[in-house]
Amino acid sequence: MVDFLDVCERASKGPMMPQRDFDLKVFIPTLRRVLEKYNIKWEKREVINTDDRLADRVFEAAIEFYEGVGTYVTDTERVIKFSREEILDGIREAPKEVYFGEGADRYVMRGNLPDTNELVHCHVGSGTETSIEYALRLVEAYARIKKGKTLSVPIVNMVRHVRTASGSPAEVLAGIRCLQIAREGCRLAGRPGLAISSMISSCTSGGTTIAATAPQFGGRPSDGWLIAPTSELKIDYSELMKVPYLMSWGANIGQEQGPVLGGYAGGPEGLAVVNTAYAFHGVLVARADYHITYPIHMTYVCSSVPEVLWAVSVSIQGIGRNMRVPYYSLLYAAAGAATKMFFYEALANILTLVSSGAGVEDPHPGKAKIKDGATPIDSEYSCELVHALKGITRKEANRIIDRVIPKYIDRIADPPNGETVDQCYDLDRLKPKPHFEKLYYDGVVKELKTDFGIELYKN
Amino acid sequence: MNEKIKDQLKNAIIGGNTEVLLKNIDKIIRSKKEDPLKIIQDAMIPAIRNVGDMFGRGEIFLPEMLMAAETFQSGMKVIEPKLIDSGRRIEKIGKVVFGTVLNDIHEIGKNIVITLMRTHGFEVYDIGANVSPITFVEKAKDVGADIIAMSALMTTTMTYQKDVIDYLREEGERDKYIILVGGGPVDNEWAEKIGADGTSDTAPGAVELAERLILERKREAR
Amino acid sequence: MISFIDVLERAVSGPMMTQKEFDMKVFIPAMRKILEKYKIKWERKEVINTNDDLADKIFEAAIDFYSEVGTYVIDTERVIKFTREEILEAVEDAPKKIYVGEGPDRCIMEGRLPDSDKLAHCHSGSSVNITEDLGMRLAEAYARNTKAKTLSIPTVNTLGPLKVHSGAPTEIFAGIRALQNAREGCRRAGRPGIAFLNMVPACAKDVTTIAATAPQFGGRPSDGWLVASVAEMKIDYSSLNKVAYLTAWGANIGNEGSGLLGGYAGGPEGLAVLNTAYALFGILVVRATYHLTYPIHMNYVCSSVPEVLWPLSVCIQAVARNIKVPYISLTYTAAGAATEMYFNEALVCLLTIISSGSSVHNPHPAKGKETNSFTPVEMEFATQLAYACKGLTRKEANEIIDKVIPRYLDKISKPPKGETISQCYDLEYFKPKPHFEKLYYETVVGGLRKEFGINLYNY
Repeated sequence: MVDFLDVCERASKGPMMPQRDFDLKVFIPTLRRVLEKYNIKWEKREVINTDDRLADRVFEAAIEFYEGVGTYVTDTERVIKFSREEILDGIREAPKEVYFGEGADRYVMRGNLPDTNELVHCHVGSGTETSIEYALRLVEAYARIKKGKTLSVPIVNMVRHVRTASGSPAEVLAGIRCLQIAREGCRLAGRPGLAISSMISSCTSGGTTIAATAPQFGGRPSDGWLIAPTSELKIDYSELMKVPYLMSWGANIGQEQGPVLGGYAGGPEGLAVVNTAYAFHGVLVARADYHITYPIHMTYVCSSVPEVLWAVSVSIQGIGRNMRVPYYSLLYAAAGAATKMFFYEALANILTLVSSGAGVEDPHPGKAKIKDGATPIDSEYSCELVHALKGITRKEANRIIDRVIPKYIDRIADPPNGETVDQCYDLDRLKPKPHFEKLYYDGVVKELKTDFGIELYKN
Repeated sequence: MNEKIKDQLKNAIIGGNTEVLLKNIDKIIRSKKEDPLKIIQDAMIPAIRNVGDMFGRGEIFLPEMLMAAETFQSGMKVIEPKLIDSGRRIEKIGKVVFGTVLNDIHEIGKNIVITLMRTHGFEVYDIGANVSPITFVEKAKDVGADIIAMSALMTTTMTYQKDVIDYLREEGERDKYIILVGGGPVDNEWAEKIGADGTSDTAPGAVELAERLILERKREAR
Repeated sequence: MISFIDVLERAVSGPMMTQKEFDMKVFIPAMRKILEKYKIKWERKEVINTNDDLADKIFEAAIDFYSEVGTYVIDTERVIKFTREEILEAVEDAPKKIYVGEGPDRCIMEGRLPDSDKLAHCHSGSSVNITEDLGMRLAEAYARNTKAKTLSIPTVNTLGPLKVHSGAPTEIFAGIRALQNAREGCRRAGRPGIAFLNMVPACAKDVTTIAATAPQFGGRPSDGWLVASVAEMKIDYSSLNKVAYLTAWGANIGNEGSGLLGGYAGGPEGLAVLNTAYALFGILVVRATYHLTYPIHMNYVCSSVPEVLWPLSVCIQAVARNIKVPYISLTYTAAGAATEMYFNEALVCLLTIISSGSSVHNPHPAKGKETNSFTPVEMEFATQLAYACKGLTRKEANEIIDKVIPRYLDKISKPPKGETISQCYDLEYFKPKPHFEKLYYETVVGGLRKEFGINLYNY
């Protein structure tokens, strides 16, 4: 595979152009061309793709697309380009498994095929804005979910009375605090070795992330750090800096992306190709050991709509069938926590992911915008669903999803805000408050069984 | 022009005394006895040039020069419109786009040279620090610059000076601009290596170089 | 002393203004007012100040000045202001003694008074550029000088054929390499625990510095990291992020703050006040445990001229008498290495520093611009002089430098370029080549003994 120093060299010597030229003269025309050439079309007959040849075509289209486009480096205004051979090389040599965690909590994550009988990866927790007084208890609650194999931790964005800002020194201090809360919460849950695979939500720049997650503050190479591009297929030095640091340390590197449906990628077909191309970018530029995607709809800012679900399904299947890299997805629900709508959206999301062969991060309620808007029940539900749906085929999943989507789709533009964690969850006893307990167990869990034959809490 | 008035204007500029300068300019304009062009050419410009020379000789320092330059600019803001009204304008020696390169935040050296250039009649566009190569070029195109001047304080940032020149070559526009480079680690060897037109270790030297290269270019154009 | 978090709060809530307004409407008028108020004047009768009252006056002036001006934060365009009481409290609470290094190489750095008969702390080395191949040998050469108690390690700015760019991922690799080469070099010299106080010059940004000097790559909290201000009295988030990280770790922090003669501070009097104020800035904003000053002349770009030496001397004395913090002075000569002019300039700079009460750092040749332009002989000269001139008074120093300055002053704007290390020094056997040996021992060492009675090697 192309050496990372060569990638660095291309970042400073590749073709130079303004960002808008990259978007308008390179990205968009190339995408249009490959969509046409490879006849990528969503017929809208199914939400979860079941056409393996289409998945393979999307994959092929993505290779040609990434060869034509490359990755744009915003700091140098240059493009890192790869030849087709280099991309294929990257696909072949991409890491196919990644080890997270320490001791009894050590865990190996691998890629899966669609319709797999393997249990897919379960990731718990939420890197969303949280009141500091809840953070420790929340982490403990997440870590107590034994089916969860890796963790995200809540965002701490106050340091005493000082609010953090991206790239600011307060962010360094907040990040350190966040990490230490995370380690303590896991220890209290009896899982001190549980890996945080999104180091660390409180930090938004390369510098503050590296500073706050240094080993003297609790960072371990068996955790995972995410390298984020900007839309689409662009990266800056702040993010790229993490790569040489993590590589030199031997730490796990994750490629994350959130391509936008309706953005530069256009519609579902474009989204599918772009999402797939990100996997190549991830391997070659970010040197990723694992991948996470969180595509969203430009208007609804959630993932639980058919256009996004289809796009993510076909992309994941193409990657699964042809690259088989450790891959999971975070999908966003429009509805807030402790609402029935949230659980239906989450069901649709998870059906899509499990049947397509991707690991699952618990869907985030309320578009992840609401402070304290995530609860441990979301993670618990997600893990239980993954286990209950083990082995489900895409065909079977489609039959269910066709009945689930109508339950929420007409409210997608104006969803319920739901409740904050303190309103519906007892953070002292670490269990849902009575009304939420009723909604969840008597409402959601029971209905899943009676309506769809999905039995949670069986194993 | 009355020598006493000339001296009053000059001293106000050299002393960085904006209030006194503006008062005197106002008096002169009201009296309608002096041509605005003469005020500028015979009093104000020689005064500011003198400031620049004094700075170059180390007789005054940056604060004095900055204040003199501010005073001069304040005076020009009042008097230049009068000139334009009469269909005339002051010719600038040349236009300069000046910035500190990408990933470098050091500006003091650049600011010193810019201030000195302005005292010598250059029209300088200060585009700040941490400036990307494309931004240098686009700004130069926008304003019709004669000179692109780049400052870098570190060996690991001076390389971005080369990027600007390479980009200009790729665009086929290298010959359109005079390229000056400067900053701590920059020397003649580096300037030659990357294809710049020159460098100077000192601020007065930089201004002299800019003046010489512009005059040469104008001569060639004729 | 006011806490760092409160400083961060002021960075986001202090008075807002443009940089130009800070320079023109705050800094410059305040400096003029203070110089007038305290009647600070250099009579040009002596190069090294011998007037203790003047030194104390400058300290008072600096307090007044800093309480009026504060520190400008470039990212937020706000000013961090401190009251006079807060500044005085900080002066009281500032660390006066620090521990650097490990094991037998551990040492204490502390302040020293002018005319002191205490041995000056000897800091050796240089962050000047070198080519990669020399890194380890040079570090070993530096560390072999057992009179040097702490080191600066050189800057490597190539990685094989690749040139390192500031802010690029390659900077991290270069930093890691520089650090590991330096550690190995010191280990070979039998001094594995010696502290590096310029961690790590290959890296210019917070993210690259923090990444490259993380403990897993060899960074130790008993080393020291320099945090730089921007001219004048400004700081950015990149520097403040380092402070957040280092204070959380308990590592040594060096305040790198120094004015430019002819810049915003104006002439020698302004420079003296400004440089003293930088010590206050260092304590309060940078949370420094040691301080580095490096004043230079705006045109000559060196320190060995009287207009720079006088403010340097009086600032060192002001700090030494009133703040008493560990203080290192770095000076630059115009002449290059292996020239007689270099040693004359270095002698003048060092006598100024030693007699005024600062720790000693070998003057950097050729304005610090040339690659591979530094040899261990310059370092040895500095440390030997520190030992030989222990107890030298300012009066005695003035008598010597009055004779030496005229020997080079007329060549200051066109100095000899000097030689590179490979031209004059044998890194295999760690000794100067014959022509340099002759120059050094016969001309320089012999000359000092004959003319001034300074016996470098037999005191």
